[in-house]
This record gives sequence, structure tokens and C-alpha cells, in this order.
Amino acid sequence: MMLALSGCAGSGGTGQAAPPAGPRTLTVWLMNGSAPDKLTDQLHKEFQESHKDVTVKYEVQQWNGIQDKLTTALAGNDAPDIIEIGNTQAPKFAKAGALVDLTAEASDFNKDQWLTSLKDSGSWDGKQYAVPFYAANRLVLYRKDMFEQAGITAPPTSRQDWLDAITKLRAKFGSDPDFQALYLPGQNWYTLLSFIYDEGGDIAKRDGTKFTASLDTPQAKAGLEFYKQLQEASGTKAPKDTDEQTPEQAGIYGQGKVAMMIALPWELATAAKGNPDLTAKSSAFPIPSKKAGTTAPVFQGGSNLAIPAKSQDQDLAKEYLKLMTSAKYQSQFAGAGMIPGTSTDVAALEKDPVTAAMAKASSNGRAVPATPGWATIEAGQNPLKDMLTAYLTGAKSIDAATADANSALNKAFAG
Amino acid sequence: MKTRSQRMALSATGIFVALLFFFPTYWMLTTALKKPGDILSTEYDLIPFSATLDNFTTAITKPGFTTFLTNSLIVTLGAVACALVAGLLAAVPLARMRFSGRRGFVLLVLVAQLAPLEALFVPMYLIMRDANLLDTLPSLLLVYMAFTLPFTIWTLRGFVKGIPIELEEAAMVDGCGRWGVFRRVTLPLLGPGLVATSVFGFVTAWNEFLYALVFMRDQSKQTLPVWLSSFRTAFGTDWGGIMAASVIYALPALVFFMLVQRKLVAGTTAGAVKG
Amino acid sequence: MSAPTVNPLLPAEAPPRAARPQRRFTAQRATPYLMLAPAVVILVALLGWPALQVLGISFRRLDLGELIRGEIVWVGFDNYREVLSDPEFWIIGLRTVLFTGACVVATIGLGLGIAVLMRHLDAPVRVALQIALVLAWATPIIATTTVFQWIFDQQYGILNKTLVALGFDGFAGYSWFTSGVSTLSVIGLLILWQAVPFIAFTLYAGLLGASKDLYEAASIDGATPLQAFRAVSWPALRPLLTMVTFLSVLWDFKVFTQIWALKQGGPDGESTTLPVLLYLKGISGSHFGVASAVAVLMLLILVGVTWRYMRLLVRSQETEL
Repeated sequence: MMLALSGCAGSGGTGQAAPPAGPRTLTVWLMNGSAPDKLTDQLHKEFQESHKDVTVKYEVQQWNGIQDKLTTALAGNDAPDIIEIGNTQAPKFAKAGALVDLTAEASDFNKDQWLTSLKDSGSWDGKQYAVPFYAANRLVLYRKDMFEQAGITAPPTSRQDWLDAITKLRAKFGSDPDFQALYLPGQNWYTLLSFIYDEGGDIAKRDGTKFTASLDTPQAKAGLEFYKQLQEASGTKAPKDTDEQTPEQAGIYGQGKVAMMIALPWELATAAKGNPDLTAKSSAFPIPSKKAGTTAPVFQGGSNLAIPAKSQDQDLAKEYLKLMTSAKYQSQFAGAGMIPGTSTDVAALEKDPVTAAMAKASSNGRAVPATPGWATIEAGQNPLKDMLTAYLTGAKSIDAATADANSALNKAFAG
Repeated sequence: MKTRSQRMALSATGIFVALLFFFPTYWMLTTALKKPGDILSTEYDLIPFSATLDNFTTAITKPGFTTFLTNSLIVTLGAVACALVAGLLAAVPLARMRFSGRRGFVLLVLVAQLAPLEALFVPMYLIMRDANLLDTLPSLLLVYMAFTLPFTIWTLRGFVKGIPIELEEAAMVDGCGRWGVFRRVTLPLLGPGLVATSVFGFVTAWNEFLYALVFMRDQSKQTLPVWLSSFRTAFGTDWGGIMAASVIYALPALVFFMLVQRKLVAGTTAGAVKG
Repeated sequence: MSAPTVNPLLPAEAPPRAARPQRRFTAQRATPYLMLAPAVVILVALLGWPALQVLGISFRRLDLGELIRGEIVWVGFDNYREVLSDPEFWIIGLRTVLFTGACVVATIGLGLGIAVLMRHLDAPVRVALQIALVLAWATPIIATTTVFQWIFDQQYGILNKTLVALGFDGFAGYSWFTSGVSTLSVIGLLILWQAVPFIAFTLYAGLLGASKDLYEAASIDGATPLQAFRAVSWPALRPLLTMVTFLSVLWDFKVFTQIWALKQGGPDGESTTLPVLLYLKGISGSHFGVASAVAVLMLLILVGVTWRYMRLLVRSQETEL
């Protein structure tokens, strides 16, 4: 933590020295499981062919402990040149001056087609510090065969339809003690966000760079109430005090006794690992809205790309970024089942019913508040999860639960 | 002398305790053998009915496994060996010699163990960076040695003290020099102590994650704990894979123990003969 | 009894006539220092120096911005004021101390029991027990915590399933993590499971150090097992026992990974301990100044808890030769 004493001030301003002559190295950090190997291999080959003196040093990072690693790497004078950062992390590093301001070059990176939620999460104080990379949002995976047997002819398109479908499913299969019409653990806060957005609420109100939590608004409370209503109606056996990863919900869906789960598209593949028939038997629909016929807004998770302020060769990094955000490579993301960050071309997603459901809802994608405080929440204790558990188990009233979460959020926003 | 029934009761207790401690490991092993769909099952599955080695195949064939294994072995064995040498060198004077400044040294060793290691990683990172050791195995070797050294000194000091000084004096009278006494009397009697401390050092270094993650940026320099975390991606976690990998991961520690176990026995017999 | 003082820095400047005995004397006096040198260098450079830096940082404001810009902003005791004025800190501190105490008592008790048991077991059973212990110890923490999570899972956990199978129907769907106390109890079991093997092995090694002949002589003399234990094993065990207790206090106080992995200090922060707080302030909050203050306070608490023992140790160093 004694960077200052170690004399690494010096560099880091915007004024870059001329790029060193001779062979150059561009260090690229992408996250484990993000860009397919085929894509990166091709990309690096093309980049090196057009930059004969450059070697791309490609290093895959693990999500586990990434905050520690980015902190040390971005603060030292040996920073990588391109980094992938989770879409909740950008404001924190941007505010600290760790990232290069890319506002001026935005059009080089296909600015017109940027995914709104990722654009928001990559900006801070009116400037753009991170460029969208790829995203995904949740949808409702369901069992076509079970729907059919329960006499449900079309996937639900409103909350009421959804609840009706649950009633029919339970009537049909309820005699099986292991059956769950919808698997919904207590702390699936991404789903809660969808319901809150759908009510016209949000986690926080924004005023310039200042955010104020708004979980105590009637809209947010209505979203929370619907979550409870849905959970009770569904007869889910999921624990109220864990999220969708403990136990991993895909594994439970994979047991074949669950008719629906709110998940990311690739969770179907995980579920089908032990039960290959599931792929054919399953399909998906977007999370239904209060208003019949529309889809509910969704939280969009994903990654951005950024250039560390201490990168030794920022111009080269920008050229790399340009190639990476070009339509050619972005379309490969759609092919891999993700929503491209800098291209509106999602044709590849339409081919599969599951990713098509994701693409349909994606235009209504939202991000969590673009404040440095959110990275703290994400890497620390999430008040939304505690709020959900406290309200669902009856430990707290809705007013107490939302008020507590609200003050915890405000504390985090304050830094 | 123990009666037969006493023996039986002792053995029964021993087996019961062994089972208790074995259970989580057993659970890890059976999970590693389960098919993906069977991990979260509502059935009562204390004994798995169908087993597969797929998870093990996935784990071993995951790119880089042998590299990471080699790195881990180098770093861990190196740290253990260095810590044992430096630790033993320090433990003997602490337990047996008079000199001024020992109070200060004892305090240093004690306080060194109080520091929360998670809080030290940024200064450590800078030290390694300034020494140009980032991305090299010696950086981890040094850090792990430093982590285990206070403990090693302290434990070995206890063991050295536990050796009756009369034995050493007797050997001295028999004409052994200081070094001879050390080699013929002290060292063999220290066997169990050396084993206990080296197993400890091994397990600590073998499991360390944070420093390995932050110091090593080049994939070819990563160690097994970081490899293990690569089973968790944004696309979900391969639990069967993690468990299979964990079994593989635990094996070297077990082998290491088996190897030193003989030393433990040897140390005992030496003690019995000399005692 | 005070040891004769020796100045290691004193050069070997001896009058020529007395050269031989004098040089030998100096060499002997230098021996302990030469032997300690490697350890001292490593400890000072790799633990002492970083620790001093942490102390310095605790008096600075060091957020991500300062870290990246390389700014030094001294804020005096502000970080300490911030930490100490938060009532949460005191609750967390007390919780940590109590949790540590419970873990230490349980670990040492169980470890001693198992060590004595091993001493009396026949070879095959003893080896089986030792293998089980080593496996528990060698299993990577990430796997252990996951396995514990599964065992204690509400719906799919083998524990609840077993309890139901044994007729305790109330445990169907029972959640073991509803309160901080029950969560910490599960974490405590996990720590116990990982920590006991080491304690047991160390104490067992100590028991082996106590000569078997002496032990048998005692039992031939008609001593009861308990008397034999007190007369023969206890003196060999006592220094080891105090040492492992001391070490357990340090380790259990600083446990982080297991607590974080199981419930991230939840539910509702009820299983948050000081190391978790350190993590929240430092890594996740990037307030390295505040985090360093927490680290320093943790160290002070540890010194406070172990003060008597440390004084005893340092003193006994002088006399117990």
C-alpha cells in the first residue's frame, strides 16, 4: 500500500510518451469464460498481422479475487493494456483515475450501437471510461412438456398469466412432493430488480454523481411484495436465505421436477449435463410484466472493456479495442449466446428459442446504479439479499426491511 | 497392561473418531464420482449407486494441470525445506543457548504471528515488484516461507526443549562434539517435531490462494489453488469438477504425509532406543 | 537468573598473546547469532517491514484514488476514530473474541483427546485415524467449505436427510443458517474439522517424545493411567499445549476464508467477525487506511488477549534453560 513511497507516481497522466520503438507487447486481460477461445485466437492473430511489431500477451483472469488483482495491477506501473471489468466495477476504478477517458474516441468503438445498460455502467461523471463488451439477462426457462400436460397453451405474457400457469401446474403435478412449479430461492435479487423496475421503481435515484437509495418507495415495495407473492404461489422448496447459486439452481432444474426457473440462457446447458433430454423439452420466455403483452425490464449483467491509465501504450490499446468492438467479432458473441455490447445485430440469438427470449427482453435492459459504491456492495455484503430474506421469512416487516436496506445502501454510496 | 475389553473400547472409539473426520472427505470423494445430475438429488444417497470417472478426466485434462501441479510442488516443497532449515537453525539456540537479545528475538517471533496476513498483501506485492520477483516462483516461495517460519521456529524450539538435556550431555561426555551430538542425538529425536512442522508448512503453502493470485500474472506460473478457482466461471460452477480436482489436489499432501510418516516412526524408535 | 550479556557487534580484537583462546571464545559467542541470522532477515524483511507499512497506512487516507495517484494524505487518528466510533465494531469485536474462545477450547480439548487416544491405539486403527486426520487437514479449503455447505443444505443436505431418516421429521427443510449463532456454530465445526488434526498430531508427537519406557515403568510401579499421564506425559505435553493454545488463538481469531465462503458474514451481518470487517473495508471498500486501522486494532486485541501468556513466554525464556 506504500505505492507513493515506491516512486510509481510519475506515469499515469494523460500525456503519453511516444510509444517505444522496436517490438512491443500488448497485455490483454480477459475473464475466465468470457470470450470464446476461437474468438480471441482469431482476434489476436488478425491484430498481430496488422501490427507486425506487436505481440499480444493474452492472460485469462479468474473472477475469484479479481478486485484484489485489479487493485494491485492498476495501481502499479506494470498495468496491463486492456482489461475486462465487470459492469459494476467500472465507476469505482474510473472515479479513482485508474482508467483512460475514452469519451473522445467513442465513435471508433461503434458508439451508435452500444447496449444502453453497459454504456451507463461504463460511464462516470458524464465521461465514458469503459466500452461495452457483452451482456446477458435473465429469462424464465420452462418445461414445454409440463406446460402442455397442465393445459397451458402459450407462455405467460403477463404477471397474472404467470400466476395462473403456476396454479395449473400445481394442480396437475402437485401430488408429487418433489415437484416445484417455479424454483425461486429467497435471494435472487436480480429477479427482484426486474419486478421493481416493472413497478416503475429503481434501486437508487441519480443526481449527477450522487445516488440516493430508493428502496423505501411504494414502487420498490410493490416489487418486493410481488416477489413474495410469486414465491408463495410457486410452492418452491428453495431456501429463503440463499441465492440461486447455493445450491446451484441448474442442478435442481436438472432433476426434472421443476417446471420453471428464472435463469441465464446457458444454465439450461448446465442443467442438461445430467439430463440431456431437458434441452429439447425446455424453452424460455421473457420475465412477464404487470402490463399484459410487454416484457418486464431486466437487470443486465455483463462486462466492459477499459484501458488502464497506467498502460504503457494506450494508443495501441485503442487500436486493439477498435478491432475487438468491430461487428465482425461482436457477432461472434451473439453466436456464443451472449448479447453483443457494441452491435445491435442479434440475429444469431433469434435462432434458438432460449436466447431469443433473452434478446427480446434485452432492449429493456437496465444496469445497477453506476456508482463506485456498487462495486463495494457487489464485493461485500449485499443489503438487497438481507432485505429479501428478512421480509420473506417474516423476520422484518416490509417497511423495516426496506428502510434497513435503504440506509445500508446509502452508507455504501457515501463511500 | 490393557485388558482385552479396554482394547476393544479404545479401538471402537478410534474408529468412530476416524469416521467422523473422514466423512467430509468421503463426501467430497463421492461427489467427485457422481454424474452431474446426481449431485443435487433428493434421494437418500449416502452411498452412491452409479459412479463415473468423468469428473477426474475433465480435471486432469484441463489445460495447464501439470504446469500448475509442478509450480505448486516447487513452491511448497521449497518453502517447507527452507523454513525447516532456517527454523531449526534458530530453534536450537533459542532452546539451548544463552545469549543476550533472545528476549527481543522471541518477541519478534511471537508478534510476527499476530499480523493478519490478508492485510499485508499490498505491501508484500510492492516488495516483490521492486525486487523484480513478480511472476516468479521464488516470490511465492519466500512469502510462504515467511508465513510458516515463525511457527516452525516456535514449534521446533518446543521440541528441542522437550529432549532431555541429559541425553545430550551424556553424548558430550561420550566424546561427541557439538555437531556430533546434534546429528546423533538431537536430530533423530526431533523426527516427530520436524514431521509435524513440515506437514503444517506443506498444508499452509499448498492451500494459499490470495498471494498466488496477486503475484502471478502469467498463467504458466499459477499454482493449484488458483487453478481450482477456474472451475467457477460466469457460466456457473462445475461442482463435480471442483470435487474431483480437490481430491487430486489433496493427494500430494497425503503422499507427503505418508513419506514423512516413516520418519515419524523412525524418530519414535530412535527415541525408544536412546531413552 | 540472568544470562551473561554478550555484544554481538563487539569485534574480535584480542591482544595477540591471548589470541587462540580469545578467538574461540568469540566464535562460540557468535554462534547463536549466526544461527538466528537467516530467520531474522526473513522475518524482518517479509513480515516486519510490511507490518510497519500497514501501521503507517493506518494514519493515512488511502482509497483507490490515492493509491493510484500515489498520494500521501496523513489524517492522524481519523481512521481509528471512524472505526472505534462505529458501535458495530464493538459488537463484531466481542463476537470475534467469543467465537475464538469457543473454537480454541473445542479444538484443544478434542485435539488432546485424540492425541492421547492415538498413543493407546493399536497400529492399524491408529494409522486409519491418522489418515482420516491428514485427509481432513489436506483437503483444500474451497472444497471443504463447499462440502460443508452441501452437508448442511436445507433441502438436499445429507445431514437433514439423515436426521429425517432417523425419525426426526422436524429437520425436513430445516435451515442451519437462520441466525448468526447457528451460522457461526457450523463455521466453528468446519474450523474444528480442519484445525484438530494439526493439534492432535503435534500433541501426539509430544507424547511420543515422552519416553515409552518411562511410561511403562510407571504403570509397572502400579500407577493408575491418570497418574502415569500426569507424571510422564504431562511434563512433556505442557509446553506444547500452551504453544498450540497460543497458536490456535491466533489462527481462530484470524479465520476469514471459511466465514466468508459460507455466508459472507450473514445473515444480516450476524456472523461478521473482525477479519471479515477488514475485508469489507479493505478489499471490497478500497479504504485501505481504514482497513489498516482495523488490522492494527486486531493486532492490539490479540496482544491484549495473549498478553499474559506472551509475558510468561518471554520471561521463561530467560529462566527455563
